[in-house]
Amino acid sequence: MEILKPAAAGTLESSDAQVTVEPGDGKIELSLSSSVMNQYGRQIRDTVLETLDRLGVTSAKVSVVDKGALDCTLKARVECAVFRSMDASDKNIPWGGAVR
Amino acid sequence: MGNTLCSISQQDRFLQGKVDALLTGSGIRRDAHLDYTCGIFDDDWNLLATGSCFHNTIRCLAVAADHQGEGLLNEIVTHLSEVQLSRGNSRIFLYTKPQSAKFFLDLGYYEIARVQDLVFLENRRTGFSDWLTSLGLPKTGVSAAIVMNANPFTRGHRHLVERAAAENDAVHLFLLSEEAGPIPFAVRKQLVARGIEDLKNVILHESGPYIISAATFPSYFLRDDDAAIRAHASLDLAIFSRIANALSITRRYVGEEPKSRVTSLYNERMQSLLPACGVECIVLPRLTDGGQIISASTVRQAIHDGRLDDVAAFLPASTLDFFRSPEAAPVIAAIRAERDVIHY
Repeated sequence: MEILKPAAAGTLESSDAQVTVEPGDGKIELSLSSSVMNQYGRQIRDTVLETLDRLGVTSAKVSVVDKGALDCTLKARVECAVFRSMDASDKNIPWGGAVR
Repeated sequence: MGNTLCSISQQDRFLQGKVDALLTGSGIRRDAHLDYTCGIFDDDWNLLATGSCFHNTIRCLAVAADHQGEGLLNEIVTHLSEVQLSRGNSRIFLYTKPQSAKFFLDLGYYEIARVQDLVFLENRRTGFSDWLTSLGLPKTGVSAAIVMNANPFTRGHRHLVERAAAENDAVHLFLLSEEAGPIPFAVRKQLVARGIEDLKNVILHESGPYIISAATFPSYFLRDDDAAIRAHASLDLAIFSRIANALSITRRYVGEEPKSRVTSLYNERMQSLLPACGVECIVLPRLTDGGQIISASTVRQAIHDGRLDDVAAFLPASTLDFFRSPEAAPVIAAIRAERDVIHY
């Protein structure tokens, strides 16, 4: 899936994460900041990258400001931001899958 | 019932009064120019927290003293970043007081510069450093910088660049890229590029968001009081000193400013702040023609009044040719439609 325009999902409240995606230049550029960076930084990064990979996103600038979100929350926020960035969010949203 | 977050119209005197009271209570000066304000209210419609936007910046943030630690600031910043995104701004700048800066570092903001009572942040980890890299490597020898609006490029501008080019090995010329007047950036850039073609050691840059932009220096574009101009100018210069460091710039050339108040205050700040950062500030007297100072304001006024020939002597051939050519028609029309073409 191709990121067409900047889009964001999520909030900065506790137990949530704010994910912003923008069109990239051929690679995934991830900028992560988290209130639990030392404990879960690697796992958050892996979850975000896996979700992007499952959605077939190969070129994007992704910024994640995490406030202690659970994995399922992170996945949902990443999916939502990606769907919004390609205006797929007003149709049938293929949660958990890729848009074909 | 819980707290309610809602936007506050700029015309709503009653609610804006509450915003003013909260800002004053938190020791924050309200910015004269805001284009979006929101607040969080409790059940009894007391204002607990507020925040505002201006262009691509977030500012005037405050949380009532007895409601701190409830995560209200996070809600405000979330909401304001959604507002910015809906405007198409994914790159956001934020102003705050030094004692509050730490909260924003937890919200995905990164510090660019700070002055006495102001910290300037952006939402990208490498935003500023990427921009510095895009300017290229420092040149060998002595480098100088000039920042100009060139609105439009006159013989006065040319004189300043010529002097700098003669006295230094390399000159970084930053052209204001903010669209702020009847002459579009593309035209200003084209006229500068043509006007300095023969000066091989001058490198033309776009000033981007970090030099005299609506984000760093809003009072350059919109009328404000002296205190605000001084604060903005100091911040702008703090950022400039980082740019100067990255490009090994040791001199900055400016033209003397007899007319515009905001530019003369900026020059005055420059002379007092830059030497401490290792940058010499060189003020050149304005070039005159027949006893009259050459100024871009005068040129705009003349074009506005349809007297281009009166100022022909002020303009280098490249600029004059442009304004006499048919492609200048829309620009001239825009200048004539403007009510006030003089920079305050």
